[in-house]
Amino acid sequence: MKLLTRTSAIYLIIAGIVMIAGGLVFYNLLSNIFYSQIDKTLHEERLLVEETINYSDTVPDFRLILGHHIDVTLVPTPQKKAEMINDTVMYDKENGDFESFRHLLVRSTSMQNQGYVLNLYKPLREKEALIAEIMIAVSLVFVSLLVALVFFNYFISRRVWVPFYRTLQKLGTYDINQENLLEFTPTGIHEFTLLNQALEKMSGKIRKDFLNLKEFNENASHELQTPLAVIKSKLDLLVQEENLSEDQMQQLSAIYDATTRMSKLNQGLLLISKIENNQFSLPELIRFENLIDNTLENFREMTDHKSIVVKKEYTGNFIVNMNRVLAEVLVTNLVSNAIRHNVPGGIIRIETSSAFMIIRNSGNPLSFDPKELFKRFRKSEQKSESVGLGLSIVSRIASLYKLEIGYSRTGEFHVFRISLEE
Amino acid sequence: MKILLIEDEKELSRSITEYLQAGNYICEPVFTYEAAVEKVNLYDYDCVIVDINLPDGTGLDVIRSLKKNKSETGIIVISARNSLDDKISGLEIGADDYLTKPFHLPELNARIKSIIRRRNFGGTNDIQFNEISIKPDSMEVFVNDQPIVLTKKEFALLIYFVSNRDRVLTKESIAEHLWGDEMDMADSFDFIYTHIKNLRKKIIERNGEDYVRTVYGMGYKFTDKQQ
Repeated sequence: MKLLTRTSAIYLIIAGIVMIAGGLVFYNLLSNIFYSQIDKTLHEERLLVEETINYSDTVPDFRLILGHHIDVTLVPTPQKKAEMINDTVMYDKENGDFESFRHLLVRSTSMQNQGYVLNLYKPLREKEALIAEIMIAVSLVFVSLLVALVFFNYFISRRVWVPFYRTLQKLGTYDINQENLLEFTPTGIHEFTLLNQALEKMSGKIRKDFLNLKEFNENASHELQTPLAVIKSKLDLLVQEENLSEDQMQQLSAIYDATTRMSKLNQGLLLISKIENNQFSLPELIRFENLIDNTLENFREMTDHKSIVVKKEYTGNFIVNMNRVLAEVLVTNLVSNAIRHNVPGGIIRIETSSAFMIIRNSGNPLSFDPKELFKRFRKSEQKSESVGLGLSIVSRIASLYKLEIGYSRTGEFHVFRISLEE
Repeated sequence: MKILLIEDEKELSRSITEYLQAGNYICEPVFTYEAAVEKVNLYDYDCVIVDINLPDGTGLDVIRSLKKNKSETGIIVISARNSLDDKISGLEIGADDYLTKPFHLPELNARIKSIIRRRNFGGTNDIQFNEISIKPDSMEVFVNDQPIVLTKKEFALLIYFVSNRDRVLTKESIAEHLWGDEMDMADSFDFIYTHIKNLRKKIIERNGEDYVRTVYGMGYKFTDKQQ
């Protein structure tokens, strides 16, 4: 949920509650005013009736004076003084319907010792109609006020939060690999300035750590090269020895294998760190079809040996502006991957168009999650002698040149797709 | 054949010197830029092997100084920096070849031989090994004066063998020589076996001797000496 939607919703809910509560209070207030008004009228009428009864012996028909809603009953015995006021529903002859009335009942005795019972009624119809009208009017005012409030709040908030959204957008597009540091345009709002300062400080620190780490990676692999070169050269000399026993040979061979692997590993790591440090300049337009042809030619013995059928379908020229060495590494790694993880008598199909390059190869399904495929040191168990950096290097090169790389499994085939980003 | 080796890493320098001297080269090691410049200004070498990163200077300057003297010396750059820029600037100012550390000694040896052959303007650059003669420029091979047809890889393999005769060549070094170090293919050893088998067969078919010996667990040796 967006921040503005959220605040607007909360506004609406609170305003709704306040409106309902206020409405109830207002309704009660109005109704009390009306009741006191009606009760006052009823008492005035009563006074009139009682005075008439007190000062004359005959009781006139009050209905002629005060309307239909009055009933005076004379009783022979004196009445104990009592009065009661309440709401009641009764049949209204004027309308021919049941209606609410305010009812005043008075029992009393006149000065002539004449007991009487008074029933005075006032219809509540008008009062209810009036209250309804007032409530409607007030509600309309309330609702329009509320709408205006929410509306203005929304727009004011939107304006006020502009620097925040700008900061968010900057963060979203920030690439730690890029040269420039994270910088925000100054805002007039203290909190946002603090936020931006904190973010600038944090990203600066992260970037520094990141650069240190990259530098360390590169230095470490770089410094390893020389001792590796020494070990390798000593081994090359040692294997020339004439008098080695079979046992010594075996041990030497194991050391040799391990050194070769370590050296390949180090070369791979060095290459990755150089790609990450963007140390390959000189991009040129590379036609991938030529690279693919050369690579396949270089690996022909291997495809022949495994009886792999290679099919090429060039429907367009896949041309990318990139460094030549890296383009070669990209194709070599993908093709050698397609050969290595193929089955005897399998198939490699390479397709290119102006927008993509697809390399398919038959092979057993992956023994791990395809998401892991482009990670460093991820390799299938059977091929543990390989270094496990090939596809990781491929993905680094692809991301350096904004190429999209995808893997999917269709039927018996592993499918690698490299395409230009749209 | 005189070779100047400019490499500041003493142990590596010793290994290279030892390997090259066993192949009847005279190899002079120096460890600093200053000593290197002094040597190249005083003497003539058939080939100079130069490390780019020296404690007191850059190997590139040694190459420049050689080129200024219009020297015909072959130049091989070795560098721990697997950097394209080094490679390009090295080759641009006149180096003949470039090798990245760590490398195999037989590989360095083969590169030196190839450079010296190419620089041998006076004579022929054919390689003769008993009944086998190789013409590197036209990629032709004759056994007992009869031509044999080799694939590119078999040809490269034969030259690698002959350049490093009497030496044990490990499978790793052969694989790297044939397919380059970009290749991360441990199972390429099968293909090496196939190539060697085919090469042997083609030589024997023309009544050539089988010079390839298998060294248990390690690799192969191309030799005409009896063990």
